[in-house]
Amino acid sequence: MLTPLLVAATVIVAATTTDLRDLVAAVGGDRVSVESLTEPRADPHAREIHPRQLARLRAAQVLVRIGLDHESWLPRALRAARATPRDLDASRGIALLDTETARLSADRRPHVHAFGNTHYWLDPENARPITALIVDALAAVDSAGRGVFVANRERFLRDLDARLARWRRALRPYAGTRVVVAHDTWPYFARRFDLTIVATVEEQPGVPPSPRHLGALIAQMKTSGVRAILAEPGAPTAVLARVAAETGARVITLVPSVGADPEATDYLALFDVNVRRLADALAR
Amino acid sequence: MTWDLLLLPLLACLVLTGIHAYLGLHVLARGVIFVDLALAQVAALGMTAALLAGHAPESNAAYAWALGFTVLGALLFALTRENTTRTPKDRPAPRNDVTRDREDRPATRNDVSRDREDRPATRNDVSRDREDRPATRNDVSRDREDRPGESGARNRWGGLGGAAGAPQLHQEAIIGIVYAVAAAVTVLVLDRVAQGGEQIKQLLVGSLLGVTRDDVVRLAGLYALVGALHWLCRRPLLSLSLGDDVRGARAWDFVFYLTFGLVVTSSVRIAGVLLVFSYLIVPAVIGTWLADTIARRLAIGWTVGVVASVAGLGASFVWDLPAGATVVAVFGALLALVAFARALARLVTRMRRDGRRALAGVGVGIGVVIALAGLALAALPHADHLWLDALERGIPRIQLAFLSDRERRVDAEARAAIAHGTGELAKLRALAADVRWGHRDLPAEERERLRQFLAGRDELVAGDRLVLATLRARARERQRFVLGLPLAVAGAVVALASLRGVRH
Repeated sequence: MLTPLLVAATVIVAATTTDLRDLVAAVGGDRVSVESLTEPRADPHAREIHPRQLARLRAAQVLVRIGLDHESWLPRALRAARATPRDLDASRGIALLDTETARLSADRRPHVHAFGNTHYWLDPENARPITALIVDALAAVDSAGRGVFVANRERFLRDLDARLARWRRALRPYAGTRVVVAHDTWPYFARRFDLTIVATVEEQPGVPPSPRHLGALIAQMKTSGVRAILAEPGAPTAVLARVAAETGARVITLVPSVGADPEATDYLALFDVNVRRLADALAR
Repeated sequence: MTWDLLLLPLLACLVLTGIHAYLGLHVLARGVIFVDLALAQVAALGMTAALLAGHAPESNAAYAWALGFTVLGALLFALTRENTTRTPKDRPAPRNDVTRDREDRPATRNDVSRDREDRPATRNDVSRDREDRPATRNDVSRDREDRPGESGARNRWGGLGGAAGAPQLHQEAIIGIVYAVAAAVTVLVLDRVAQGGEQIKQLLVGSLLGVTRDDVVRLAGLYALVGALHWLCRRPLLSLSLGDDVRGARAWDFVFYLTFGLVVTSSVRIAGVLLVFSYLIVPAVIGTWLADTIARRLAIGWTVGVVASVAGLGASFVWDLPAGATVVAVFGALLALVAFARALARLVTRMRRDGRRALAGVGVGIGVVIALAGLALAALPHADHLWLDALERGIPRIQLAFLSDRERRVDAEARAAIAHGTGELAKLRALAADVRWGHRDLPAEERERLRQFLAGRDELVAGDRLVLATLRARARERQRFVLGLPLAVAGAVVALASLRGVRH
């Protein structure tokens, strides 16, 4: 048989986060060219659009995004780029958490993510449905590549399964541990590794907690013996240090996204880092 | 038990009050209101540059960078002064008695200051005021010392007025430019730096509740040093701020901006720009309103700062609010209160002089507001009429009178259901919290049941609230003309009657 001389053109993909970028790269291999539209450090809620992003959006054949209300800047960017890529909302395949907020909340408490918590990529199991959606979206543009995409995905999932077993083993001794979180970032991660989140220090990121909230939190942590505070790099350090000093708890800085820490080089390394940090801190 | 959480923040606030109320008087006299924001931003830029140079954001090196940039900013402001503020050269500068005069002023000046409060502080009034001053005060230069803010302004514009030639720049323009450029460059650098952006942001936001004992001790020590320096050099520094001629003005300006930058960048780390700005400006403004001498203004400023700190932190505890933002809001409320009291005092004096006619302007204002509220109700019954909401909360009959018997029954039922539902929600939420914290054990399926039940209850209560909103909308439809039009007419009558009072 003759091998076709024409090499299939690569599919150009824009992902809104580095985590999705890694998953797309894992599935697409060298048949896709994918870039993240955001830096993991930047505040996802208040970002200015770069010209590079617009160029990327305009060139993209497929757009992969977190969905829900995670990318409030995206509609504006799409309009500005006058781009209409094939749209993949990765949250479609996910069983979301924190959606139990009633459609009409009786007490109009601020709720950051009204459509459910958006940090679902922090449960490694969710990589399964997300990569399945990615295979379909890529194959819709590059039908000849479907076989490659499926094979790539299976290889990726085999690696994931092997590591997942290791991560679970590492955290099994701490099952049921009660933790306080700085922000509402970790419900998916906590559920997967059997941690119980009992309270949030800063319910609305950027709005410092009131003295009463902080006082009640400290008192509760003392009586319940909560020893760990899960934070991310953007967490309010001074307040967390105060809570830690008052309660004797330890602040454990986990990495919420690929690239937010030099060690978190790809999607699987992200969990390697987080599981190791958590196990080390809880062991002490 | 949670009160002790507020002890360190309160101490920090009192330390801030001590130095900022004083520096605020300088800032106000110089007319450089936003210089603190600019210097804080310059310090943040310095810290960003430190990141770029490879230092960790909380290292001493980063602090040194921030300090270095602050020094550069101080130098810049000292250098730009010469071209912006002008001090007439022909005026004698009785430097020696400046501070003494200001501090132990004879009590006879009281009548003057009282006199000044009674009037709007327009340029005309000031000059009139100056005319009926006692004869001993007619020396121009002495006169100027008494009013820092005014004399500074007069100076600048006075220098402009005649044959001064080239137009002068307000230093505030330079300050604004420095702020904007420093902030923009910080954004540009942060875009390139992988780590530390959050710390830079926190540098400007601060965290009053996160303050530690070391922070307070360090701040108190530093500000005591700065305060001592300012006390030792009070003559040149005060004269300079009040717009007088001082030998080596540039050097003294540099000293001022340097110490100021040091204070501001240290305070901002703890309290954030909003709070620091409030501590700087609000006490100084109230002091300037209420007193004539630096010493008294400072005393008033300190009182204002202490009151706002205590009241703000107390309110944030009682009403469960973020601490820093509450203190800033209390500062605003205090300022509004003092402004209102001054207006009231002016009104009372005018009433003594002119009788009821003095109230005419107020009457016109009230009448117009009432008329507009009535018209708005008639024109847009479904818009938000906050005054009517508040009125109906106090006197439910105002709404009930516009409902049918059946609607009133529904209203009562919905209210009872809401009261019952919120009580139950509170209890269940407490139970859920107890389970989460491990005070109480509940099997997994019971937990799920509790979660589902909470969500359902929540929705039921919200539904009852919607019922109330619907009933209110119906009542509004009927209040529209019965209530709105008479109010509009009544307001118009009040306004017109008062207007005649003005004419007479």
